[in-house]
Amino acid sequence: MSSPEIKVFDYDTYAHGDPTTFGLPLDQYQYLRDEEPCYLQEFDDPMLIDRAWVVSRNEDIWEVDRNTELYAADRGYVNIWQVVPIDPKNGGMPAMLTTDGERHRSQRQVLAKGFTPGVVRKLEGTFRKYAKAVVDDALDKGTFNFVHTIAHNMPMEALGDVLGVPQEDRPKFFGWVDQFAAPFDTRITPSFDHVMEAIGNLMVYAEELAELKRREPGDDVMTRLVASGEGGDPLMTPEEIMGNVALLASGAAESTRTAMSHGMHELMRNEKAMAWMREHQDNLPSSVIQEMVRIASPFTHLVRTATRDHELHGKQIKEGDIVAMLFAAGNFDERAFQNPNDFDPARIENPHVSFGRGAHKCLGQHVAALEMKILFEELFQRTSDIVPAGPIDYVRDAYSRGVYELPVAVTPA
Amino acid sequence: MKITVDTTLCEVHGDCVVVAPDVFDIGEDDDVVQILNPEPEEGLRAVVTQAAKMCPVAAIRIEG
Repeated sequence: MSSPEIKVFDYDTYAHGDPTTFGLPLDQYQYLRDEEPCYLQEFDDPMLIDRAWVVSRNEDIWEVDRNTELYAADRGYVNIWQVVPIDPKNGGMPAMLTTDGERHRSQRQVLAKGFTPGVVRKLEGTFRKYAKAVVDDALDKGTFNFVHTIAHNMPMEALGDVLGVPQEDRPKFFGWVDQFAAPFDTRITPSFDHVMEAIGNLMVYAEELAELKRREPGDDVMTRLVASGEGGDPLMTPEEIMGNVALLASGAAESTRTAMSHGMHELMRNEKAMAWMREHQDNLPSSVIQEMVRIASPFTHLVRTATRDHELHGKQIKEGDIVAMLFAAGNFDERAFQNPNDFDPARIENPHVSFGRGAHKCLGQHVAALEMKILFEELFQRTSDIVPAGPIDYVRDAYSRGVYELPVAVTPA
Repeated sequence: MKITVDTTLCEVHGDCVVVAPDVFDIGEDDDVVQILNPEPEEGLRAVVTQAAKMCPVAAIRIEG
């Protein structure tokens, strides 16, 4: 095939995404997977890294993500940005995503108990309460921006509960997260000073919340973060606490909102899928939720660092080179999916890589899945019709697949 | 078939529980996954194989 111009890391590619292809440059991803499965991307922007080897096939992404010995997460960088708040090699705080080996496992063990399928299932009651309130608001308004009215609140409240953020602090806490989730869209973040300020505020607040939980422990993840082990020593360092709060917040807010928004958009333009949802609205199978997560690809990529020289698809990768796993491309690989460009709510074989597939796999995957299931059930059960009230508008970012606006009109059931 | 889990690798991601809840479980106080049924019947081979594939840290072994 003739080569399209490769701009898979340009914010404008995503800002002007094609709504008929999930807002993604599927043709460019196809070219990369087929013709250059290990593609050298160079950057010329002081806010970004210099270069990265881009891996786009589904199978290769699984391999890179699982091979922590060859592709390290603890040698700097998380994505193509030069600076992130959780990169200790570049002035940030340590967190699980930027740690490997034993220290990764220890941090993960402190938190993981709060996120297992069984523990998460118990949140169903509270999630349904939040979903009902969100849908009440939507029905009152009739016509609204799905992103703000529906997709924003659930993740905020859900993470607030899981983490143990006091109700009254949630709006400001998530306000800070939004500032550094989409640093290049000036409608959301007017300048990089806002980003730095937001990160600073979040870190300070994390320490305050840690202090609160030391005095008044709760049944929440923040209390786990500040807990001590059998020897009496804290399980996490103060830096790890701040880093992991930033990680959890950024992993939970924008991403879930994004998946819900892309999911809703696709349902409204896909009659068959919409009918399928109506048929299953009393108890949505996980297949449709995972399919939404696939096509949304809330984070287009993450990076790792090669720990030694080696060859990949004929390219010579050197120790220290950055390797980018282009999740969004891997999610449409016909080598791994039947009819990958179709939104199939009943898709069972779904090896999508949106949550990752290795040791760093999203800690909140079960929380996100439950949130989405409950929200869509409530929304569908209480409406008879959900239609677009205007065109979709995407966030200007090449890392986070945010939706800026999704105008929607609902008819009560 | 016989199922074992390398408990030095398990990080309780829970993927196995989602795929094969009759075979794997993570209780509230568990640090690693529990194998409810270490010698499941042949009919469970497909889900157990899927669980092993899905495990993010490749901790599940199937013998026989």
